[in-house]
Amino acid sequence: MLPADPAAIERTEAPAALARGEARATAHHGEILQGVFRHRDAWSPALVTLPCPVLHSRAIFLLDHSGRVTVTPAGKTKAHRAAVQTLAKAGDPRLGGTLVIECEVAEGWGLGSSTCDVTAAIRAVAGALAIELPSSVIARDAVRAELASDSVMFGAEVVLFAHRDGWVIEPLGAHLPAMTVLGFNCDPTGSGVDTLSFPPIAYPPDELEHLESLRVALRRAVAVQDPWSIGQVATASARLHQRYLPKPGLERIFALAEALGALGVQVAHSGTVAGVLFDRADPRREAKLERLRAELETFSWTFNVGS
Amino acid sequence: MRLDVHNHIADALVLPRIVQLDRNLYAAVFFLMKLMPAQDILARAKASGRLRPGGYVLETTSGTFGLALAMIGALEQYRVVLTSDPAIDATFARRLADLGARVDIVAEPAAIGGYQRARLDRMAVLEKELPEPFIPNQYDNPDNPRSYARAAAVLSEALGPIDVLVGTVGSGGSMCGTGAALREASPSLEVVGVDTFGSVLFGQPDQKRVLRGLGNSLMPKNLDHAAFSEVHWIDANEAFAATRALHRRHALFMGPTSGAAYRVARHRAEQNRDAKVVVLFADEGHRYQDTVYDDAWLRAQHLDRPLVEAPIAVDDPLQAIPPWSVLRWNRRTLAEVAAK
Repeated sequence: MLPADPAAIERTEAPAALARGEARATAHHGEILQGVFRHRDAWSPALVTLPCPVLHSRAIFLLDHSGRVTVTPAGKTKAHRAAVQTLAKAGDPRLGGTLVIECEVAEGWGLGSSTCDVTAAIRAVAGALAIELPSSVIARDAVRAELASDSVMFGAEVVLFAHRDGWVIEPLGAHLPAMTVLGFNCDPTGSGVDTLSFPPIAYPPDELEHLESLRVALRRAVAVQDPWSIGQVATASARLHQRYLPKPGLERIFALAEALGALGVQVAHSGTVAGVLFDRADPRREAKLERLRAELETFSWTFNVGS
Repeated sequence: MRLDVHNHIADALVLPRIVQLDRNLYAAVFFLMKLMPAQDILARAKASGRLRPGGYVLETTSGTFGLALAMIGALEQYRVVLTSDPAIDATFARRLADLGARVDIVAEPAAIGGYQRARLDRMAVLEKELPEPFIPNQYDNPDNPRSYARAAAVLSEALGPIDVLVGTVGSGGSMCGTGAALREASPSLEVVGVDTFGSVLFGQPDQKRVLRGLGNSLMPKNLDHAAFSEVHWIDANEAFAATRALHRRHALFMGPTSGAAYRVARHRAEQNRDAKVVVLFADEGHRYQDTVYDDAWLRAQHLDRPLVEAPIAVDDPLQAIPPWSVLRWNRRTLAEVAAK
């Protein structure tokens, strides 16, 4: 079902669809850990995202012989570029198509809305072309379509992802342990941030060492599926980055999380959302969530992650 | 350098200060090392719903772990109940009570198993009487050694690769936990445990121990024997003298377990000047002012005897004799060592 496209209406002949691809990508809710990390002798900015299974982008691609790709809504330029690049893999200049993106992910909140669109678009085009694209290839292609990226194409898999280059520094595990996240926007009255405009952070040596030990702790935590340690790492990363992109009111959230017996606090490091993490096995979880909602006084949402 | 404002004193004091004692010898100096497992265990319990403010925390301990629990109990409003035997000194008991902890002293030893058994029996009674108490169980709870990853991170960040880790063993938490975490970055790390005569931890028969704060009459699950490269047994005379030397030479006012660990760590550091040695100093000396830090008391106890130069090397725990013996444990299980 296509919304009206003025350009298509003006064409005298609508191209016939050769094939149809449809795909989704799941957004994320910011990160568990972000920083600059060592790989062999090099250092790369990288992150570990917290997937947000309830937010998606959906893409539909109708393949045709028009020789050009159109996208709706017209503003989805990154998804458009990704579709064009993916289509080029077929090596047939006659190919084109119509790409429709339905995105329920708010832009500028740090939820990876653009990567979601891009990933969904790539998958939809690949589906229409009947080609298989592994997550690592999608990751590399997605980064070529935009400056920064995140690991949404890896789904629930936990990876330390070099988001400016588009590759996995270290896979950490198949999924996070079972947690419930209560998310909210630290700056609900703001219009969000241009998440791609931040230069890479130059961390001093002591913070680099601290980030490495957080990486080790996270590796261990995912290997043994320890939600408590995940919370500790997320909180430490959030605290560290308050120095660089402070989120209004976050100190109070740290205190609330500790007082309530949450696992910890995670943030979208380049955005404005934050989440308080709870152990899904905690019998007091619902009561704690209720208390937190009452204390927050701002719109919040709740979702589950992990096994 | 950014200075932190801490939410409470436990946060401010839990991590060690790293002090260089000698060319290749560094000390991790703790105000109260057991704050680390106590904080972690209680915070995990709260996050998993097993403990809520106003909830009961029940443990058998008359030592530093009890103090750590009592401190966190005061800060987080938990009701801490500690079972102890009459040997607890009055000053310490008052300190625990001042933090709001209830010290339940068992009056008599059990016919079989002595005071240790009596405390465990009392624990069982209290567990039923109190409403859903949370029991940290420091000797068997794996969150105890796990909590020491924080100490290991501090050590790694401050010192880089470490060759030898030395410390006393009681529950196995600090040495097995710190050792395992450090080994991830330094796989060839040597872990050197310090025990005392009459402790069952490394294969000696259970006997009355003069040197307290290390060693045990029961085998804790948290003791992973295969983590250890070398084990020393040291007596009170040597440990107390080393505690005093640590104070006189380095102005470090620590308890006797620190002295015991210092004695062994200095020895290891002198043996190989190319190896970077780290020693754990677990608690401060205030409780011992009238004992270890009192020459008259030492004289009266005949704990002012001459010291030895070096430990006697043995290859069987049963051969270890006072004042100081060492066994190259070589990361074996207790069964493997005993079979030799």
